[in-house]
Amino acid sequence: MKQLKTRQICFFFIAFMPITKFFMVPSILAGQAHEDMWICSVVNLLLDLFTLTALTVVCKRENTDFITLLKNKLGEKGAKVVLFIYAIYFFTKAFLPLQEQKEFVKLSLYINMPTDLFFLPFFLASFYLCLKPMRVFGRVSDVLWFFTLSGYLILIALSFNNVDWTSLLPVGARGVKNVLKGSYLTANWWGDCVYLMFFIGNFAHGKKASLKIILCYLLSGVIVLFAMIFFWGTFTSIAFQQKFAMTQLSKYTTVINNTGRFDYLGILLILFSCVFGLALPLYFCSSLLQEVFPLKKRWIIPLVVNVLILVLMTALNRFMATVTLVIQNYLSLFFIIMANLLPLFTLLLKNKEKTNENLQT
Amino acid sequence: MQLKINLDENVKVIKQSLKSDDVNFNQIKIGDSDGVVIFAKDLVDKQSIGDLIIRPASLFKGKVCKDSLEQLFFYPEKQKVTTIKDCINQVVSGNALLISDGVDFAISFDIKFFQMRAIAEPPTSTVIKGPREGFVETLPVNVSLIRRRIKSPHLIMENTEIGRFSKTMVTLCYIDNVADKKLVEKVRKKLQEINIDAILDSSYVAKFLGDKTPTLFKQVGNTEKPDILVAKILEGRVAILVDGSPIALTVPYLLIEDFQSPSDYYNSPYSATIARWIRMISVFLALVLPALFVSAELFHLQLIPISFLLTIVNSIKGIPLSPSYEMFFTFLIFEILNEASVRMPRYVGMVVSIVGGLVLGETAVNAGIISPPTLMIIALSGICLYTVPELEQPLSFLRLFFLVIAGSVGIYGLIVAVSGMLIYLVSKESFSAPLLAPFTPLVKKDLKDSFYKGFLTEQNSRPQSLQNANRRRMDEN
Repeated sequence: MKQLKTRQICFFFIAFMPITKFFMVPSILAGQAHEDMWICSVVNLLLDLFTLTALTVVCKRENTDFITLLKNKLGEKGAKVVLFIYAIYFFTKAFLPLQEQKEFVKLSLYINMPTDLFFLPFFLASFYLCLKPMRVFGRVSDVLWFFTLSGYLILIALSFNNVDWTSLLPVGARGVKNVLKGSYLTANWWGDCVYLMFFIGNFAHGKKASLKIILCYLLSGVIVLFAMIFFWGTFTSIAFQQKFAMTQLSKYTTVINNTGRFDYLGILLILFSCVFGLALPLYFCSSLLQEVFPLKKRWIIPLVVNVLILVLMTALNRFMATVTLVIQNYLSLFFIIMANLLPLFTLLLKNKEKTNENLQT
Repeated sequence: MQLKINLDENVKVIKQSLKSDDVNFNQIKIGDSDGVVIFAKDLVDKQSIGDLIIRPASLFKGKVCKDSLEQLFFYPEKQKVTTIKDCINQVVSGNALLISDGVDFAISFDIKFFQMRAIAEPPTSTVIKGPREGFVETLPVNVSLIRRRIKSPHLIMENTEIGRFSKTMVTLCYIDNVADKKLVEKVRKKLQEINIDAILDSSYVAKFLGDKTPTLFKQVGNTEKPDILVAKILEGRVAILVDGSPIALTVPYLLIEDFQSPSDYYNSPYSATIARWIRMISVFLALVLPALFVSAELFHLQLIPISFLLTIVNSIKGIPLSPSYEMFFTFLIFEILNEASVRMPRYVGMVVSIVGGLVLGETAVNAGIISPPTLMIIALSGICLYTVPELEQPLSFLRLFFLVIAGSVGIYGLIVAVSGMLIYLVSKESFSAPLLAPFTPLVKKDLKDSFYKGFLTEQNSRPQSLQNANRRRMDEN
């Protein structure tokens, strides 16, 4: 039975693709590529779009889900090895965004009593979400795309007056090396195209579905690019010091003086989508581990995954700067291979028999 | 056990089962044969017993045989009964039973008569414009209210008895070429599976129709108004009427149904749309306003404009309780007043409202126990809750839950809690219809009777959020 619709896949990317990229990524990129920081994101986006296009071809061709395709090609054991590696990928992919979200919640959202406890409820929601079928993501995407889009629009609109457009020039002044380095260092936050691989055969591939999906991904990418441009335009040379770009972007807006931090409305909308977006890799990690180690009690693996990442985050809390550097410098290649290179091999996977299934969401 | 030809034997066996004093065994003569009329004296129309049973029996000449007994009575609502068990069931259901010597069957006459409430406007859904009739506790009356509105042979009423002791008549009602056959079968099966001693209200049936696991939100719709019920049946839903209950049930249930007021359909679509948006905003405010205020006051002062912040600071000066405790206690007082005003007789309820709302509130503020903003927020949140009275119970619970979360871990906890609620709601279904449809999964065509109220002439198809056998409401031309 198909669990999703093309519309939900489109909304999925609009809702979840931009959300994790506006906490630490802008300051990392500003430090690396200065006014060309947005070009780094263009490189990441193009890479993702390339992989996404390849995946849409498979989506159109195949009516069977990715795991079955993999089993047909590599056999049961081979498939389990690949799925296990992807489970590890999703686990590591979740780590940095979760850590920065925790820091954001602790330091930016609360003006008194900053404590890690404030972030704990997230893991309850994440565990609960991991127990639900994939169609839940389709259904929440139907709602959340609006929140993400509105949140970003509010932040961008509020910061519009503060942008120094001339600071973006000259374009490409920092050189190709810095731009590529910036792209490489932030690869962990990109690569959301990989989710489409796990939606293969799980959604009704309607008319012009491929085009719609690619355009929606592009739209999400453009939103991120705009936010990056506005961020640099607002802070220019001190942009690399502005951790948690989301709260910084619109803080100089004059309206805020009279109405309180009105921009928090946009931030809260994005944070709402963030709960789902951050749980997404943990969800896929749990689902894939469930495939590899099929347990009758389906709650065990989601519980283990969520507790494990919480324990790791707590244990590595003091060494977070080192961990971030290690992940950025040594694991980025792994992220690019898993998100952009390996999915291309799905073009080689073909189902042996075609099946007719009813469409339902 | 089958009835026998011997009258005395039959009566003896029935008397063993029907020992109650309100059951009458009246001996009569049917020509040359003996007969007995058995009935529960408070449930039947005694005049009808005389006119429909005793008078024709006394006029009969000769010995009773199978054919003559059946042809003797002209009453259309008579029924042949052949077993002792059925005879007993007929009597306790309020029918009169005639058993004659020389035949191995009895005849039951549906001549029920008891006091019933007049048809009136239901207090839970009053309208300014539109029909004011409401269901009553009597099933035949309710059926007639529906039948009067749908004069079609496709309107099907299926009766079934539920309850080992109560033997409550439950009617399944649908339009056979509109309702999905699988849905009807599913509801029918669920009704047949109900195994309980008594059904005292339709809410008993609703519990069996929904999921077996406890759910926060209801899974079965309900209404007290026949016009609303008919509209739902016409959309492809299946209705369940229960004898003794003025509330009819409908399945599948969508959450949006509770935001659709009867008056929306009789007023201008513009005002109905605005009213619907107000209801949605009100529910949002009712749920999160107290929690947002507490979390802003405790953890996120930057969210509050400076001038308002100064007002709050002045008002909470000297309040002995922390913001979350203060809000919690005000909430508790509101709920106590609410509970008292619902339970008390009306004339006392008025006094409670005045004492509670005005005297208690104002005194508490003057005494410096609670602050005016807190009182105002709880009052506003409480009023907002009643814009959608059907959701009052789950929303009250959620309001308290969100308040506790926000008071403990602030706004991020609140966001996670709302996310949890969203996950819960999107994964819930009522008879295969997603609870949050048509918003998620998004059904664009159905938005015209959910997010906004379109013109009736535009609503040419039945809701696609539901499975229905016939999608079109209006002909193409």
